Amino acid sequence: MRKIAAMGMALALALAGCRQRTATPERKQLRIGVSLLNLSSEFIVMLHQAMERKARELGVELVVNDAQRSAEKQVQQVENFVAQRVDAIILNPCEVDASSPAVDRAIAAGIPIVNVNSETRSAPTAFVGSRDEESARLAMEFIAQRLHGRGNVVMMHGYMGQAAQLKRDQGAREVLAKYPNLKLLAHQSAEWDRAKAIALMENWIQAYPDRIDAVFAQNDEMGMGAVIALEQAKKKDKVVVASVDAIADALQAVKDGRLDATVFQDARGQGEAAVETAVKIIKRQPFQKEVYLPFRLVTKENLSEFLK
Amino acid sequence: MHRAPAIEIRNLSKSFPGVKALDAVSLRVEEGEVHALAGENGAGKSTLMKILAGNHTPDVGEIYLRGKRVQFRHPHDALQSGIAMVHQELQPFPDLTVAENIAIGREKTRGRWGWLDTAAMRQEAQEWLDLLGARMDPGCRMRNLTVAEMQTVEIAKALAHKASVMIMDEPTSAATQREVEALFRIIRDLTRRGVTILYISHRIDEVLQIASTVSVLRDGRLVGSYRARDLDRSRLIAAMVGRELEVRPVAPPAPKGPPVLEVRALGKPGRFRDISFSLRPGEILGLAGLMGAGRTDVAAAIFGLSPADTGEIRVRGRPVRIRSSREAISHGIAMVTEDRRKFGIVPEMPVTQNITLANLRRYCHGPFVDRAREDAAAREQVRKFSIRAPGLDCPAKHLSGGNQQKILMARALLADPSILILDEPTRGIDVGAKAEIYAIIAQLAQQGMAILMVSSEMEEILSLSHRILVMCEGSITAELDARRTSQEEILKYAMPV
Amino acid sequence: MRTQIQRRTYGSAGLLIALLAISAGLALVRPNFLTVANGVNLIRQISINGILAVGVTYVLLTGGVDLSLGSLVALAGVVAAHCAHPGQAPVVTPVLAGVAVGAACGAASGAVVTRGKVAPFVVTLGMMTVARGLALVLSGGRPVSNLSREFTWMGSGDIAGLPYPALILAAVAVASHIVLQKMRLGRYLYAVGGNERAALASGIDAAAIKLFAYTVCGGLAGLAGVVLASRITTGQPNAGVGYELDAIAAAVIGGTSLAGGVGGVGGAILGALLMGVINNGLDLLNVSSYYQQIVKGLIIVGAVLLDRRQGEAS
Repeated sequence: MRKIAAMGMALALALAGCRQRTATPERKQLRIGVSLLNLSSEFIVMLHQAMERKARELGVELVVNDAQRSAEKQVQQVENFVAQRVDAIILNPCEVDASSPAVDRAIAAGIPIVNVNSETRSAPTAFVGSRDEESARLAMEFIAQRLHGRGNVVMMHGYMGQAAQLKRDQGAREVLAKYPNLKLLAHQSAEWDRAKAIALMENWIQAYPDRIDAVFAQNDEMGMGAVIALEQAKKKDKVVVASVDAIADALQAVKDGRLDATVFQDARGQGEAAVETAVKIIKRQPFQKEVYLPFRLVTKENLSEFLK
Repeated sequence: MHRAPAIEIRNLSKSFPGVKALDAVSLRVEEGEVHALAGENGAGKSTLMKILAGNHTPDVGEIYLRGKRVQFRHPHDALQSGIAMVHQELQPFPDLTVAENIAIGREKTRGRWGWLDTAAMRQEAQEWLDLLGARMDPGCRMRNLTVAEMQTVEIAKALAHKASVMIMDEPTSAATQREVEALFRIIRDLTRRGVTILYISHRIDEVLQIASTVSVLRDGRLVGSYRARDLDRSRLIAAMVGRELEVRPVAPPAPKGPPVLEVRALGKPGRFRDISFSLRPGEILGLAGLMGAGRTDVAAAIFGLSPADTGEIRVRGRPVRIRSSREAISHGIAMVTEDRRKFGIVPEMPVTQNITLANLRRYCHGPFVDRAREDAAAREQVRKFSIRAPGLDCPAKHLSGGNQQKILMARALLADPSILILDEPTRGIDVGAKAEIYAIIAQLAQQGMAILMVSSEMEEILSLSHRILVMCEGSITAELDARRTSQEEILKYAMPV
Repeated sequence: MRTQIQRRTYGSAGLLIALLAISAGLALVRPNFLTVANGVNLIRQISINGILAVGVTYVLLTGGVDLSLGSLVALAGVVAAHCAHPGQAPVVTPVLAGVAVGAACGAASGAVVTRGKVAPFVVTLGMMTVARGLALVLSGGRPVSNLSREFTWMGSGDIAGLPYPALILAAVAVASHIVLQKMRLGRYLYAVGGNERAALASGIDAAAIKLFAYTVCGGLAGLAGVVLASRITTGQPNAGVGYELDAIAAAVIGGTSLAGGVGGVGGAILGALLMGVINNGLDLLNVSSYYQQIVKGLIIVGAVLLDRRQGEAS
């Protein structure tokens, strides 16, 4: 029994060693390790694609890992990157606190690390993203304008406690505070999920018959859910719906007049800037410590800009 | 000197959903005696003892232990008071060893941190096993033991608890002659040391042999408590059943015709080897031997439960391969297994559905079950076998052991087999039902059924069989003519050299 | 005695009482709980879980379990969505495709359970991740949208005021009830779950029965996936996370035993209803999301305790 374990360990070590050796190439091509939050999110997929494009353009190699929403996995992935001595790391954090050890490890090992899209408590070498509060502010302002400053609003949250949810909640409430006649009638989490949002909206329609004037959903999936429920209840024409992300489905819905507004998060811009910044840091060129890409409100009027 | 009785039960009643198991039972058990509890199936014996052992609580009535009132809410309470029970339906811990099972709840530890002292537990187990005359390795896992071996371990466990009152529920149902004698020796020894024994058994001769007092229950009521020396077989049976009953198994008529089952050189390494015999229609072939001789393995091989590795089986002259029970059934072979809980009863299913399970196709229109026809067929079987149940829709798990056995017999026979294998067909069945089953077996043979019967009850095998095969340690040691042989001769061939 | 078996098969009176009590309480506090519109919402909302609960009942009855349901829902939804674009094919095609995919995965799980003799928990856990991966691969990680009106009508439309998904659930429930209670196949399912060795000794092909159970369960999960995709108008690779637990919970609350051999469709529906009412009620009462989890858990355990306690007593 012990012999087998010993042989197994030796084998594993040998294999690991092999990988290390082939990792050092003859030609010095830059390698950047990327740990993404969750590749089954459309936004992150776009982020990833933009990074790949930029990397090809600049001639750098990307090693991409999917953390599958687990901060623990993410820390492990970054530790692996550190062990492989990559030239830089791009981190798309899962959680503010729980993903911080990843940043700490990279900094301690002297490897530059760039956070993209979300923050961590530990300070990275550079940050590329957008301010989530801004997205909510844009959507809420739109709603406030549409309702002429008076009316009842309901808000759909994402997963409670996630950075995006907290920030968007904050932004929305800032705007609400500015309009005393705008009341937050109810708010509940639909966990970023379209099906849950449909059920939630249906129940709200029951709970507050004809009293809801607008819906702010913290992402488009939930926004679409609200729209579907409202259409089914034949109440859509009386309710304004705005959400965040500008995914393809939402853009189409804005075009068809079903969704009133969405907010465009520049996934492409973030992805490209992240890679550019990382390369600049490696090559010891001057770089911006914080790159903020603005959110943009998308309505029927300016839709054509965003439709690819 | 007037000593308080070890146990006094006053006016005890207990009902379960749909059935009144005990009706105002009162009895006294004296200190240090062997007090037997006799009665038919469903008479309430097990229920009464389970109340005493703390498994159930009575609805009405009181229990006094040496003059003091006691109320057990939990078997643990009973154990603490010195009452231990060896159950009929065994519940060992299958993945623990014999020693661990015996020591359960009283594990020996060593040192400050409570490390398990496995050596001491093993030794203790060995002592108890030796005392019982059991040849078994204390390190063996319970799931590998046969039913009879498990029972022995349970007895050892009860003994190890140093109980002052020991309840034994059918302790010899799976034991052979030698083990019964060993058990009786121990019982006498225990009573000499002041332990009180409560002994439930269907075996009339044993009861009369070992007990000093016999209490008879019928339909939940106490018929009477008698001194054993005032009783004989017929009086005891009469008290149990309420009528005179002849329990001698009937001798069946002679078999005729070419063999319907032929077995040649059947073997399974580690279990049995070189088994060859033939079976004719209308013949009853008894399979005798000690526990562990391999008789159930042979039966299981023919029925496809655990097929043999070598050898040949022929049904009606044609060689067949039997790799599963389905194939066996398709060849007209049916079996009533030994361990009815493991192999037999589907506990949550109602009685009717349990009966028709092996033969459901017959009561179907295409894929749909014809409940009406099914119920009628089941009802008929219930009547034929006198199966007692609170209702035909009652889940089978609520029936007593004997009635469950009858369900299994009914199920096997419903498939209209030409070859019937019976493994301990009357284990745990009361006197009245036994007679009925013997009659049925004889009748089946008369109608042409070929029957292979594994049994450890000498009288049963001698009276019912035409021929007897004796097995010992995996092979056949003798083929005897039932009319001309005796218990002693069978035992001679059953013993290993 | 009859009552006891019927209880677990048709759903017990105790559970029904709990359901009515909670509903009555809700109606008092929020009168619009009792409206027809809310009722319609409710049955539409429980339809998907209901279909899954009925499906998983087959597997639970054999003493097994299926953890892959949520992933099958997603996979079927994605597959169906791929054939449901406007003008692509008649509506039957995506529906059949989704159900077929689910059934195929179920059959695969069943085959490994019966042939490979691996514990169902492990096998279906593996299928859970494989199916999810397949869904992601087939969809490229993004939802498949642009579905035809005919297809999405299934999820949102109704016939005589009754939502289509609820009608599908009713059809599934009735058919399953017939199979389980009136057909030989159903009887064998109960036997295999109740005591597999007894079933084998009675000549029943336990392996085939189990395979059947897993295939049907997978097929129904596929159907649920199609209905979901229709309702949310996309084929989402991320859909259905955790759905298997809700389905198993509904079935178990309704009286189906995890050990096998006991239970039925009626209980599954009752369990799904109870969970649906609780969700619906908590939303109507605007209870905070944090507390919803706690309240839901407590009510469910409470309802089951009450039900089992009553069962012992009767």
